[in-house]
Amino acid sequence: MKRIFYIIFVLAVVIFITKACIKRDIPQNDSVRLRPKAKIMNVIYPADQKTVVINGIDYLQSQAPIGKFGGALVASTIGEGPKTFNPFNSKDNISSLMSDIMYDGLLSTHPVTGKPIPKLAKSFEIQNGTDYIIKLRHGVKWSDGKPITADDVVFTWRDIIFGGYGNTSIRDSVVIDGQLPEVYKIDDYTVKFVTPQPFAPFVTLLASPIAPKHIYQPAVRKGKAYFDTFLSTNADPKTFVTSGAFRLKEYVPAQRAVFERNPDYYLINTDNKQLPYLDKLVYLIVGDVNNEVLKFEGGELDVIGLQGANVARFKELEKHSDFTIYNIGPDTGTMYLSMNLNTRRNDKGDFYVDPVKQMWFQDKNFRTAVDYAIDRKNMVLNIANGLAQPLFTAESLNSIFLNKELKPYDRDLNKSRELLKKSGFYWDKNGKLYDKSGHRVEFNLITNAGNTEREAIGVMVKQDLEDLGMKVNFKPVEFNSLVNKLVSTLDWDMVIMGFTGSPLEPNGGKNVWLSDGTLHVYNMRLEKDKYSKRFGWEKRIDYLFIHGALATNFEDRKKFYDEYQEIIYNEKPMIYIYSPLRIYAIRNKFKNIFPSSLGGITYNIEEIYINREDK
Amino acid sequence: MEILKYIFKRILQTIPLLIIVSLISFFIIRLSPVDPLAELRLNPSVSKETLQRETERLGLDKPIIVQYGKWAKSFIKGDLGITANGEQVSAKLKERIPNTLLLTAIVIFLSWSVGVPLGILAAINWKSPLDRMLTVLTSIGMAIPSFFFAVLLLIFAVKTGWFPVGGLTSSNFLEMSFGEKILDISRHLVLPVTVLFTLSLAGLQRQMRANLLDVLDSDYVKFARAKGLSEFKVIFKHALRNAINPMITLLGFEFAGLLSGAALTEYVFQYPGLGRLILEAVLKSDINLVMASLMMGAIMLVLGNLIADILLIITDPRIRQKNGGQA
Repeated sequence: MKRIFYIIFVLAVVIFITKACIKRDIPQNDSVRLRPKAKIMNVIYPADQKTVVINGIDYLQSQAPIGKFGGALVASTIGEGPKTFNPFNSKDNISSLMSDIMYDGLLSTHPVTGKPIPKLAKSFEIQNGTDYIIKLRHGVKWSDGKPITADDVVFTWRDIIFGGYGNTSIRDSVVIDGQLPEVYKIDDYTVKFVTPQPFAPFVTLLASPIAPKHIYQPAVRKGKAYFDTFLSTNADPKTFVTSGAFRLKEYVPAQRAVFERNPDYYLINTDNKQLPYLDKLVYLIVGDVNNEVLKFEGGELDVIGLQGANVARFKELEKHSDFTIYNIGPDTGTMYLSMNLNTRRNDKGDFYVDPVKQMWFQDKNFRTAVDYAIDRKNMVLNIANGLAQPLFTAESLNSIFLNKELKPYDRDLNKSRELLKKSGFYWDKNGKLYDKSGHRVEFNLITNAGNTEREAIGVMVKQDLEDLGMKVNFKPVEFNSLVNKLVSTLDWDMVIMGFTGSPLEPNGGKNVWLSDGTLHVYNMRLEKDKYSKRFGWEKRIDYLFIHGALATNFEDRKKFYDEYQEIIYNEKPMIYIYSPLRIYAIRNKFKNIFPSSLGGITYNIEEIYINREDK
Repeated sequence: MEILKYIFKRILQTIPLLIIVSLISFFIIRLSPVDPLAELRLNPSVSKETLQRETERLGLDKPIIVQYGKWAKSFIKGDLGITANGEQVSAKLKERIPNTLLLTAIVIFLSWSVGVPLGILAAINWKSPLDRMLTVLTSIGMAIPSFFFAVLLLIFAVKTGWFPVGGLTSSNFLEMSFGEKILDISRHLVLPVTVLFTLSLAGLQRQMRANLLDVLDSDYVKFARAKGLSEFKVIFKHALRNAINPMITLLGFEFAGLLSGAALTEYVFQYPGLGRLILEAVLKSDINLVMASLMMGAIMLVLGNLIADILLIITDPRIRQKNGGQA
């Protein structure tokens, strides 16, 4: 008897607890509502920064409203934190982010137009497309009090960058026909760069950080192996000599990097007081997105980038919380579907791609049919929660080189069927697709396992293509073996991948587009196939990329890059899917927030201040 | 003297073991399809030359056996090598070891000082309501997956605001006074300790209870009781001493877990310990770092077992006799 009572009691407790949970989580009268849409904000930007001379010092003057000094902003980075504090060694985004805070470059980018604007340089001038004359600011100092002069600039470029120290990607991208640009000191505050040929992308590279010669020279003298470990994350932040608005105060591995205000920074407000307003800038190092969201909700973070389902939830929270959500437009990343256009054989004499499949993939009608069968809008709605924009061009939607003539189009299965018919494909009575020699159209589609977004796209692409009677075997594979397939074994049919691009410089994608590029995935040529046959349009893209880099003014360059985008749009070696939107939430107490598509939300960190009354 | 000889012999025996462990782990990591440069390869702005240089720097262009030889040589010299990012592995480990030790030491101390007495209590009061209640509680403790429990506690922290959301120190830690620092760290430790404590407490309590029950049922305990010894003497002098033996072996394993036990919980709580470091190293195939941590784990395990054996010799005269007889 007692026992039965026990059982009933325990059961009752369990039932009540479960019931309580259900009641809280699912409101009973929750009708289906449309997702609140985050509109791209209309931001009124302050006038451009300008140089003013006070007591012989060339200050840069911010035109943003005057704010109050003090306070801290806590942001976050996902992952294991910076790998190095040496700006010339950084190979990952977080290390670059940290060094960009600490070290200023000669130029930076206008947050709205994307044009180069002076930063550490007072002014710059480009002559004949090859000579870059840069005047430095008088009276600007390193954090140890030594002036920043032409010697530092010449040392940084000649000894570190052109000398091949650290991460050599800048050096590799300015080599033109095996020749490096020259850099000369004209006087203490004037430097001249000369490129062997006109090379337009060079000007964006001038945003690279400048190093203090008196600190870096001893490290450079000790050789490249030493330089790779110089200013590692174990180094004492007190020994860092920097030029940026903030300097490193403390780095706690796997927890945070704390930056403090540089009291002698050369940016001033309209009241002629030295910026930045904030005393501290903290980057918390969080392991994953979920933890980041929890930290923001718990009030430990002040700013956060949001994705997917979180946006809708935060939009609801926004009404009675202390933060505002900003939509700053499409991402620079491009998600694409690509077919293997390879017709070559491997070392053993076998084709990389089955000859039957080659016939399909080489056929422009087939590629176009696939493109028209893909329902981008559906993917945007269902995979990206409506927070993305369909993409049809090789340049990302916020690129200043985007070809706006290339119009988006909707899914059109009839058009797809027509194109397939034109190429001799036919359907049996069950709707299965066969090619003109009677082979069933069946191929593999791969993407990297673990990336839920790409896996979801893969499933939808498979369904879309099965509407055309194709048989698609969708196999997510492990990231490393995927990369191996794409760049060395080349035994794949169709892939879903993404690349990150630069919204400012299409030449950064030359490894993808040049026909012998290291990432020319859709028709990868290994070392032994370097001189194999190219498509006419591949040759044209080669021409466009080489000449696009040589042209000097923006309008001339844009013509070249417009044409390359048009070729990709028509030939469809890569079928673009969508670009996610970037959504940020930031606490209301922060003022002078002018989000921009190119700059993000905290690019003007020096101008951001805290208004305490406004909680 | 005997005991020193025994220790020496045991240490000699571990050398071939460590060699085998290192060989197996090295080959498994290197033969797995993880390419440390995959990320770089898919970056459009990385040139062929950079990739080539990276391959040479990491020694990936050489056969595996040569790579192993190189690693083993420097390991014997006491040099753990550098990580894929050019930092000293030893420095990297050194910054994480104290954090992990702090967490696991607290957990082990708490769970032993609570779990063992609770186990004894349950065994003495066998089949009483107290015993039943403890059984239910420990069953719950063992049944909840640690990461799930950790996530629940994190949500609890966010909703109530009583505890910080993960980490070990607050962002203004540097400006705090000594007392505030201790308070700050303790506040951060509460949740991860709770998770790990619940988990290991349950196991320990049940183990202790079962051991003691076994012993209490044996003939010599019955005899001692029949002889008229006080219940206190029977349990604490005779029964407990025999019941504790398996616990000492367990302690040896716990010692090995000191540096490797809490990876999952560390990850959920963003605790800056070894677990997170090693997880990332494995994913990126950062060979020197992974090998260092694996070897550390192996050495800790061997050491833990050795300590347990020595403790057993001290507590259990039977083993002492046997060893003495052999030597």
